[in-house]
Amino acid sequence: MGKPTGFLDYQPEYYLSEAPGERIRHFKEFISLPAPEAFSRQGARCMDCGIPFCHSEYGCPVYNLIPEWNDLVYRDLWQEAYNRLEQTNNFPEFTGRLCPAPCETACTLSINDHPVTIKNIELAIIEQAFSSGWVIPKPPGNETGKRIAVIGSGPAGLAAAQQLRRSGHDVTVFEKSPMPGGLLRYGIPDFKLEKWIIDRRLEQLEQEGITFETNIDVGEDISARFLVKSFDAILLATGAGEPRRLEVPGADLAGIHLAMDYLTRSNMFVAGKLGETELITARDKNVLVIGGGDTGSDCIGTANRQGARHILQVEILPKPAEHSKPCNPAWPGWPNIMRTSSSHEEGCEREWGIATRSFQGDHHGVKRVHFNRVEWIAGKNNGNLDIKEIRGSGFSREFELVILAMGFVHVEHNRLLKQFNIEFDQKGNILTDARQMSTVAGVFAAGDAAAGASLIVRAIYQGRRAARAINAYLGR
Amino acid sequence: MTDMRLQYQRHGLYDPSQEHDACGIGFVVNVDGHKSHTIIEEGLTILCNLEHRGAVGGDRKTGDGAGMLLQIPHAFFQETNEFALPDPGSYGVGFLFLPPSASNQAREMAEQILYAEGARLLGWRSVPHVPSVLGESAVKSLPDLWQLFLAYDGISGDILERKLYVLRKCLENRARELGWNRSDFYIPSLSSRTIVYKGMFVSGQFAAFYPDLTQEIFTSALAMVHQRYSTNTFPSWSLAQPFRFIGHNGEINTIRGNINKLRDRNAALSSPLFGKDIEKLFPILDPSASDSACFDNVFELLTMGGRSMEHTMMMMVPEAFGLKYHISRDKRAFYEYHMTIMDPWDGPAALLFSDGIKIGAYLDRNGLRPGRYVITRQGKVVLASETGVLPIDPRDVKEKGRLAPGKMFVVDTERRRVVKDNEIKAHVSRWKPYRRWLEENKIELKGLLQVPGQAGSENARLPQLKMAFGYTQEDLNMIILPMVLNAQEPVGSMGNDAKLAAFSDQPQLLYTYFRQRFAQVTNPPIDPYRENLVMSLSSWVGRQHNIMDESPIHCRQLKLSHPILTDDDIERLKQADLQFLKVVKVPMLFASHSEALEQGIHRLCLEVESKVDAGNSVIIMSDRELDQEHAAIPALLATSAVHHHLVRRAKRHLTALILETGECREIHHFATLLSFGASGVNPYLVFEIIRNMRDKGYIPVKQSLTDATLNYITAVNKGLLKIMSKMGISTMRSYRHAQTFEALGLDRNFVDQYFPGTHTQIGGAGMDVIELETLLRHRRAFQPADRSADSGKYHYRHEGEDHLLSPEAIVSLQEAVRNNDYAAYKKYSDCINTKSKQLGTLRGLFRFKPGSAISLDRVEPEEQIIKRFVTAAMSFGSISKEAHETLAIAMNRLGARSNSGEGGEDPERYTVLNNGDNLNSKIKQVASARFGVNSMYLINSEELQIKMSQGAKPGEGGQLPGFKVDKMIARVRHAIPGVMLISPPPHHDIYSIEDLAQLIFDLKCGNPQARISVKLVSEAGVGTVAAGVAKAKADTVVISGHDGGTGASPLSSIKYAGSCWETGLAETQQILEMNGLRNLIRVQVDGQLRTARDIIIAAMLGAEEFGFGTIALISMGCIMMRKCHLNTCPVGIATQDPVLRERFTGKPEHVINFMRFLAREIRELMAELGFTRMNDLIGRRDYLETDTAIEHFKSRHLDLTRIFFMPDQPDGIKHYCTTGQRQDRSSSLDKNLIRSARRTLEGGQPVTLRRRIRNNHRSTGASLSAELSKLFGINGLPEDHITVKFQGSAGQSFGAFLAPGITFQLEGDANDYVGKGLSGGKIILKPPKGSQFLPQNNIIAGNVCLFGATGGEVYFNGMVGERFCVRNSGAIAVVEGVGDHGCEYMTGGRVIILGKTGVNFAAGMSGGIAYILDTTQLFDTNCNLDMVDIEVVHEPDDIVFLNNYIVRHHRYTGSPLARQVLDSWEDMLPFFVKVLPVDYRKALERITSQTSGDEDSVTMTEEVFT
Repeated sequence: MGKPTGFLDYQPEYYLSEAPGERIRHFKEFISLPAPEAFSRQGARCMDCGIPFCHSEYGCPVYNLIPEWNDLVYRDLWQEAYNRLEQTNNFPEFTGRLCPAPCETACTLSINDHPVTIKNIELAIIEQAFSSGWVIPKPPGNETGKRIAVIGSGPAGLAAAQQLRRSGHDVTVFEKSPMPGGLLRYGIPDFKLEKWIIDRRLEQLEQEGITFETNIDVGEDISARFLVKSFDAILLATGAGEPRRLEVPGADLAGIHLAMDYLTRSNMFVAGKLGETELITARDKNVLVIGGGDTGSDCIGTANRQGARHILQVEILPKPAEHSKPCNPAWPGWPNIMRTSSSHEEGCEREWGIATRSFQGDHHGVKRVHFNRVEWIAGKNNGNLDIKEIRGSGFSREFELVILAMGFVHVEHNRLLKQFNIEFDQKGNILTDARQMSTVAGVFAAGDAAAGASLIVRAIYQGRRAARAINAYLGR
Repeated sequence: MTDMRLQYQRHGLYDPSQEHDACGIGFVVNVDGHKSHTIIEEGLTILCNLEHRGAVGGDRKTGDGAGMLLQIPHAFFQETNEFALPDPGSYGVGFLFLPPSASNQAREMAEQILYAEGARLLGWRSVPHVPSVLGESAVKSLPDLWQLFLAYDGISGDILERKLYVLRKCLENRARELGWNRSDFYIPSLSSRTIVYKGMFVSGQFAAFYPDLTQEIFTSALAMVHQRYSTNTFPSWSLAQPFRFIGHNGEINTIRGNINKLRDRNAALSSPLFGKDIEKLFPILDPSASDSACFDNVFELLTMGGRSMEHTMMMMVPEAFGLKYHISRDKRAFYEYHMTIMDPWDGPAALLFSDGIKIGAYLDRNGLRPGRYVITRQGKVVLASETGVLPIDPRDVKEKGRLAPGKMFVVDTERRRVVKDNEIKAHVSRWKPYRRWLEENKIELKGLLQVPGQAGSENARLPQLKMAFGYTQEDLNMIILPMVLNAQEPVGSMGNDAKLAAFSDQPQLLYTYFRQRFAQVTNPPIDPYRENLVMSLSSWVGRQHNIMDESPIHCRQLKLSHPILTDDDIERLKQADLQFLKVVKVPMLFASHSEALEQGIHRLCLEVESKVDAGNSVIIMSDRELDQEHAAIPALLATSAVHHHLVRRAKRHLTALILETGECREIHHFATLLSFGASGVNPYLVFEIIRNMRDKGYIPVKQSLTDATLNYITAVNKGLLKIMSKMGISTMRSYRHAQTFEALGLDRNFVDQYFPGTHTQIGGAGMDVIELETLLRHRRAFQPADRSADSGKYHYRHEGEDHLLSPEAIVSLQEAVRNNDYAAYKKYSDCINTKSKQLGTLRGLFRFKPGSAISLDRVEPEEQIIKRFVTAAMSFGSISKEAHETLAIAMNRLGARSNSGEGGEDPERYTVLNNGDNLNSKIKQVASARFGVNSMYLINSEELQIKMSQGAKPGEGGQLPGFKVDKMIARVRHAIPGVMLISPPPHHDIYSIEDLAQLIFDLKCGNPQARISVKLVSEAGVGTVAAGVAKAKADTVVISGHDGGTGASPLSSIKYAGSCWETGLAETQQILEMNGLRNLIRVQVDGQLRTARDIIIAAMLGAEEFGFGTIALISMGCIMMRKCHLNTCPVGIATQDPVLRERFTGKPEHVINFMRFLAREIRELMAELGFTRMNDLIGRRDYLETDTAIEHFKSRHLDLTRIFFMPDQPDGIKHYCTTGQRQDRSSSLDKNLIRSARRTLEGGQPVTLRRRIRNNHRSTGASLSAELSKLFGINGLPEDHITVKFQGSAGQSFGAFLAPGITFQLEGDANDYVGKGLSGGKIILKPPKGSQFLPQNNIIAGNVCLFGATGGEVYFNGMVGERFCVRNSGAIAVVEGVGDHGCEYMTGGRVIILGKTGVNFAAGMSGGIAYILDTTQLFDTNCNLDMVDIEVVHEPDDIVFLNNYIVRHHRYTGSPLARQVLDSWEDMLPFFVKVLPVDYRKALERITSQTSGDEDSVTMTEEVFT
């Protein structure tokens, strides 16, 4: 263990951020990590708990061996730390930047103190590993001769592909977009994840021997039958692409966009793969973002960088409690508290308890949006809150751009799934058994496609689990 | 009765080999050999006066046995026999216990054998006896009593004795052939010199039973007596003592090894004295008899073989002869030489021995049994466990002494002399030129066990080897690394809640199926740190020779100073090419496929045997050559299999086994290997790993590889000492082969074949599983794996070992108690019950037989159930004030009981708060350190709990490091802030079961209203200990699981010491029932109790009360950090750091909610099962059965039926405590004293009383003090307000807990424990008027005086025994000489010693001051200087203090020595030295330099402590 009294001796230190006014001038990453000595102190704050809740089901979904690498960082054994980190997480450079870090809210210190800055430490380890050349391809020692198709190249697909390849299988990843990466590439803005970071990892995957087939929409370009014929196992990791829609009058007006469309175009534009004309831009516009989640935040950050005049974000749920202390009031669970993301810091107005009633506009597009305030009351069927409109609370505001960021309902029920005749669960996700296998033998599912929209880190875990299941399936 | 015992053994958990005994012993002898009847009468008197050291059975009448060894009363036999007898000494007399049903047949058989052996029958005598005086069960088992007279014509003296020995062996062997066992046919004695009368009675019944002994004409010059206290009540006439030569008080801990080592020596035995007859002597011993009986057998063999009794004794029980002892070189050589012939019989022992001519006594190296003697001017010597057992006119006393550790004392009636230790040993040590033999013959290897060289030959294969031997990250980080960095074994806390090896899904190493055994009650553990001078790791390896003979060849062996060998050492051994040290290596491998292991072992055994036949005297078994096709045989299996193979082939003594194995890394692993037969171990893979970890940077560069390796070896050696010491074993050579482990989860047949003699109670894995586990590991090493599995054995890991307390369970429980949410509680209880059903625990394998449900309202109310709940002992000191008080408030509000733990209690808590809350812990613990145990503490309790051991570290002590001792804790524990406080491993007033009875008696006297409980830890045999506890009249016995929480404990103890409470509890219940003791005593259980299911199972197995430790803490906010030992608990529970204590958020309501939820759940379950009252389900294991639905590759082999066994009981007998104990305090003087002092106690004038006192007046003053404390509180009365002047020999615990205002003055002498727990009173001891001896040269009081004293004054006009002022924290004492280990663990008070001290003075002394008059200037050679400095006395304060108290000493006692010192004060003063603990000086300086010491916070250290 690190230093027994580290948590009493040292204050937490976080990564450094460029000032909001500065960073909205570009799309580049705006955080930088403190010097390694700082991490030694931060690692020392870890208490090496008898039950590390950060590593439990309340904490890290990929069950990172957090106390172990914290200690190694404290002791300045970075390469060993990387070895331990790599044991559980294929892509710490993604999670270290993008994860909401349930490990930190579950950290035992957060019962009554600042948690250990686990996410920063994770990022520091993996960046140290890349810059020191420790991240090298690890192709398998011997080939099994089994062929596996992975559909989708988001975090779940990539994690599964890497695990499977390292077990000696012949792995092909199919991606319908021009480049692999899924949401990481097209959904997450560069200021949160610069795309070279993905490319850096893809290079390793390719060198390990994974085949990437991009621009192929499985189900359209090739059939399920072909897959079954050509591969010993198939993993569906297509994500939860079906967005939640807002069915109110005027929803089909121009200037009203799904968040994914908005972000994807912006990302492609930033990558130089899209002309300015095809970009949905917020420049000089009053922007409404409907939905208070992470995607909403990404839209705000993007809109600000595009030069939006003003941004309002509305959320239908009530405003969470303010909580200014560093500890977690719901320890070790995820606390429902008011959170301010870096995008919020960059400037926007936020409102809660707002239902969107209708859009008003003309052939140029949306002009005005009508809202109602709502309240949430204890429902009849125990526990669930019911929504209730507050009488006379209607109001309207003018907007030229509306972005719908209300989340995703389930996997897209596309032709591929129909060809497989896959069964879905109640929520519309691919139904899987305990071994991640769908109702079709040899066809597995992982990530959002099976579990519904969730965190990147869960997707990685699911991908790994699916790989293990496939290994077991093929070994039989 | 015998059959019943066998049946119990077959079906239940009872095992006769677990029985223990202890006793009172003594002898009286006329030095000039004059025979008189008086001697016999005096022997009987001694017995009667030792009666309180014996015990009676469940029928309250059957004694555990008493006996007497006498010279043959020739005149008496001549007169009573109808047949003529030849001259005395020319015929033999046998005393025979014959089977009543076949008495004639037995005598016919005896006659046949007798003629066949060439003897002549003189006649038979039916021994007159009076059965009506006996208890019921003694009568039932009464044998036919006969005396046999015979002669070998023309033979007498030693030759006759030898003939008679051979004859007795022939008779015994024939009897065995006829199917008679020891209880059917037994020969107490057959000799021409001695005769033994013994039987199942208490001493008072002795003479009445054997009228022979009352005949005036029955005479003897000597009488050796023995009063037995056995843990069981099955009558066993043959196990009463004395045996043919010895009477033993104590216990041989290494008996299993001693037996094994002798069993195989038959072939190598030869003696010209016996010639061919020697074969008739086999078997030499009966392994089913008691340890004492086996000892007697071997003692007999060796003395009959020509060694003197003294020689034999020194050989079998050598005194400590380490370099710290200043002893003669010849004597040291004698012991070293004999190490090559026989390993010590280790364990506490006071031994009496006699051949009818000489009679002697001997005490083992630790001196843990009392022995006091008086030599009279008229030529009589009386020696006994206590002084005052015979009335002796003070004017007749020539010398009063005690048996000191390792010392011998002999009276030779032929030479008419008393021979003392020095003379005896000087003579024996030079019997042969042992020193020269040793110098010329012992083998030395240059460089062996010196600085290790580089490891590294296996670097390339390291990852593979690590996999093959199952190394995990935890092994590296939590085991090896701390050992390398700190040179000590790693420490952890909060017990073990991970799965046991027997239930784990992960492949386990064979070691983990073995549980360390430990001493509790029947013998004491040793402190390996403070008393390491008695301990030794050295042993000889090589070929051993005929034990009947002595020659230079015998010591041509190689001495290993410790058993851990480096790679270089193995090389050196291999290259040794000497005539007497032939070394060969054999591979310890098997073909790596299934069903090959058994064959592999077989082949290994044969190969080793053939190497032995080829003359190799050291065999190295190695698994270095493992590869894909060859897996390593588990080293422990290989060791024990080969060991026992060689034993069976009678070749074991021809070779030593050394292991070269990659498997062994934990201290526990080393311990098992050594205990099962290895002489040395080379853990080569660990050395590789250390090198690799250093290369990677885990080990700081400044630590050289050599240092790192040596640190690891040091840590292993320290750990081995600790494991040995917890079993009370002091030397590696007797630990080796002693098999002090029990198996948990191993198949009985498997164990019988490969680990014979080891207990395995529940069956389990056999060869197939062990092989599978080995192969799983092995294959993994040769297959690519995606990652190495987390082990999670210590800290929770997602994919690691399951823990009972999962994150979810903790979160749900805390949610439940904080929000008073029963639904959340049920979620918690589901988590636990599911986990345990998934084979986390033994009880997880049980299920309830379906009952007929009743409605919930018929079940007794929650309150009734909650009354049975207690919190487990957690001291204030281990947990914070806030946490400790929260528990007390909660339990008091519930009407349940909290436990103070061992750290004392703040007297302020005895007063109820204004809001009605009560902070007083109803249970007060009395542990080995006796912190804060004074008269007030005792009277403010409802229950006093004697902690014999604790679940997480049974048999070990502990220490509270100085930085945790703040002002408050110091006050409560009567110490000074910043001073380290040590809890010794043993209670220094409990070295055996009769001592425990005495402490129970003390506490009963100290608070007559309190219940007394005794806390034990589960292990095989705990039931027999519990039976002994019941006979010691405890009201409750607590059975703790091995897995209980702890503030700090070595990880190896947390994981591997002790056993599950399920087996311990079941065994306890069964044995209490078998012995008719269950109705007398309550049974409590604790250890990871979590839910109603646990409680009901515990109740059905026999518990009526339930203790909660960890789970109570969890309900207050504990989150299983397992950092209690670091003082960094982030939720303010297990810490004294004020900053962290502020983080405590626990409330009494939380604990209350938990207890209520639990009770509610219990009621629901009771309703489901159909019980209305808890009492109805206690002990009803017939309602439990094995859950057959559980499928697991290991559980299939488990056999739980023994746990559910119910011995036949008379109808109407309940399975729980109904009558309770009848505590007999009629022998106490206190009732009378209280009556006489009544007026003073009611506020009247001071009073002076006069009383005569005898050795059976025990604990005098304790009840009087209790009365006084109740009335006057902690400050008591003014000095000398109640003065009692006694005359005579006081019984044990004279002046125990004496309160302020009481003065006891005794003219005479006293036994052990004078001033135990002295609480402010004054005690004065001086010799009787008319004594002729010089007081300072004589012993006036026994051992362990002033143990745990907290205040008061004591003046001893004479010397006292061992361990004076142990754990004194406030008393002032003046004494004229002390034995070994004086002022050990002292933390306060002052001691003036005007004379000699024994060795190891001031060991572990962290506070207080001692002044010693050191006229020889050699005191520092006897002082343990680890923690103290020795200074001259020059400070005026010291001089004034010394002078004042020596003046007082003289005034009170009239001491001539004090007079002499005072008369020449200026000349004497320079001879005084002052012993001052280093810490104490610093603490005192801190206090004087800063009045408010709190700011000067002691810097937190990272020192690992235990």
